[in-house]
Amino acid sequence: MSHSFHFLDDIATADLAFDAFGDSLQELFHGATCAVIEAMADPSTVGSTWHKPVERTEEDPAELLFDWLSDLVYWKDADGVVFSTFELTVTRGDDGSWHLKGELCGESVNGSVQVLRNDVKGITKHMYHVSQEGRRWHARVVVDV
Amino acid sequence: MKLNTNMQVNRITDEVWEIPVSEKSGMLVPARIYATPTILQSMDAGVFEQVTNVACLPGIRRYALCMPDGHWGYGFPIGGVAAFDVQSGIISPGGVGYDVNCGMRLIRTDLSLDEVQPQLERLMTELFRRVPAGVGASGFMRLDRASFKDVMTNGARWCIDRGLGWHRDLDAIEERGCIAKADPSKVSDQAISRGINQLGTLGSGNHYLEVQVVSSERVFDEETAAAWGITGHDQIVVMVHCGSRGFGHQVASDYLKVFEKAMRRYGISVKDQQLACAPFASVEGQDYFAAMNCAANTAFANRQVITHQIREAFSTVFDRSAEDMGMELVYDVAHNIAKVERYPEGELVVHRKGSTRALGPGSPDLSQQYRATGQPVICGGSMETGSYLLAGTAGAVRDTFASTMHGSGRTMSRAQAKKAIRGEQVQKQMKQRGILVKAVSMSGLAEEAGFAYKDISEVVESVDRAGITKTVAELRPIGNIKG
Repeated sequence: MSHSFHFLDDIATADLAFDAFGDSLQELFHGATCAVIEAMADPSTVGSTWHKPVERTEEDPAELLFDWLSDLVYWKDADGVVFSTFELTVTRGDDGSWHLKGELCGESVNGSVQVLRNDVKGITKHMYHVSQEGRRWHARVVVDV
Repeated sequence: MKLNTNMQVNRITDEVWEIPVSEKSGMLVPARIYATPTILQSMDAGVFEQVTNVACLPGIRRYALCMPDGHWGYGFPIGGVAAFDVQSGIISPGGVGYDVNCGMRLIRTDLSLDEVQPQLERLMTELFRRVPAGVGASGFMRLDRASFKDVMTNGARWCIDRGLGWHRDLDAIEERGCIAKADPSKVSDQAISRGINQLGTLGSGNHYLEVQVVSSERVFDEETAAAWGITGHDQIVVMVHCGSRGFGHQVASDYLKVFEKAMRRYGISVKDQQLACAPFASVEGQDYFAAMNCAANTAFANRQVITHQIREAFSTVFDRSAEDMGMELVYDVAHNIAKVERYPEGELVVHRKGSTRALGPGSPDLSQQYRATGQPVICGGSMETGSYLLAGTAGAVRDTFASTMHGSGRTMSRAQAKKAIRGEQVQKQMKQRGILVKAVSMSGLAEEAGFAYKDISEVVESVDRAGITKTVAELRPIGNIKG
């Protein structure tokens, strides 16, 4: 099982775009989550004094990823935090819907100890897609900064 | 001329270019781009694609427009202007922008460069301390939810009533800093949670607070400049660029979801998911309009709180009152907004996304002090090059739904800019050129390097020659705060 992400140079002139990959949908979520966290701050400089359990269910895995990534942006503003680590599982229910259960960890923004990057304002639907080829999942995400 | 499109682009004048309705299936009106040939050739393919997508939206009138600082955006291009009939037309968050009422504010002073230069380091440190910027920044004000709803309804006036500004400031703000028909009941709890602690904060990205100097040789219209308190003689002014922060973004995100579903119900199809819209006259359209106006008023209040903090910082550093230093507001103008305005076609919902209102002389919508000159238009350049003060014209009212440019416009992505230079290097180079930069994020600073933007002088020349604004003065940066 593995995941990865990389930021894209030639897409989103004024904002940030990334591709995320995973060997499963859950791994894709891991890759995309790492990208958004990295866009906000260097997670190695962020402590883990703040914790937030998150649960979400959607029929469409693309909508589930969109809402989950939007949750990161929401908590960043609502609680004034940036993120260090996270845990998540993505499972499929008997009714075919996708269920995410996770926990975000981080701490209050403190520019004197954390390497802060972009104040991400939102996840957008511009060029947004989630696809699967064989076992490999791919998401393209443009982030408004 | 080599353009980044295969579409037919017809020359109307040297500054106005038209894409006819025959170039894309579904176009209801032609698309018009305002640009010199040089600027037109530098425009990315997204501009041509997106402005013609906008031309397909129901109820659009006359033209879908793009200003010379245009580049691709979400749905509409940045620099996009479109007007829709209030009865048969739509309203779209993609035509307003996520950062509702992102805008520019300019404050004049009686101080000269000679007076400020020796104190510049201290001044920038004090401004950096008083105006929070960057990721997760929260303001000095702590509001409960009821008070925040008052901000949504009353905008800048809420601040003035609490001593955060002068009553005459309101005369120098678009819509006097308070747009009617704002209804907090149409705003989600999530949006309130995101915005409640952000009043008085800059944000990041391309938002900034800049101390600038106006030299006499860069004042191009002395009479208009003087009427606005711009005298030249190395005069110090302060520019602020920011908007409604996370609050406005959440409002836009919330209603994009609502509109995605509503479009199916109303039988509307769009060329791009980010153009999700609803009939303006529908329940969903009116709800978004009411929520968007809440975000617009919050942005006016945000810039007003920042103005108060700027005045306090100057008072602390120069040990004089802000009034004694003549720190009057030149103007505050939105460049991400939708408003109902009257034109020969009737009442229209004018969407300006990365475009500034530019009312000409005599407009009844302007405060008395601007009736003779036309409306001040504040255009921010890159932090390395400079900015411009322009005046609205009758030509803009006639040709572009009273709209013009808003800034210089990016030509290079953030990722490319970061690969080309480091933030520390930008900071050092700018210091060598006499510009002191305080930045929360060094990578964010690299992203905003001057070479990532179009030449603002060429952009300004486009709108001046097209007659939709006239150039009043250039403003050169000496100090910059970035998130």
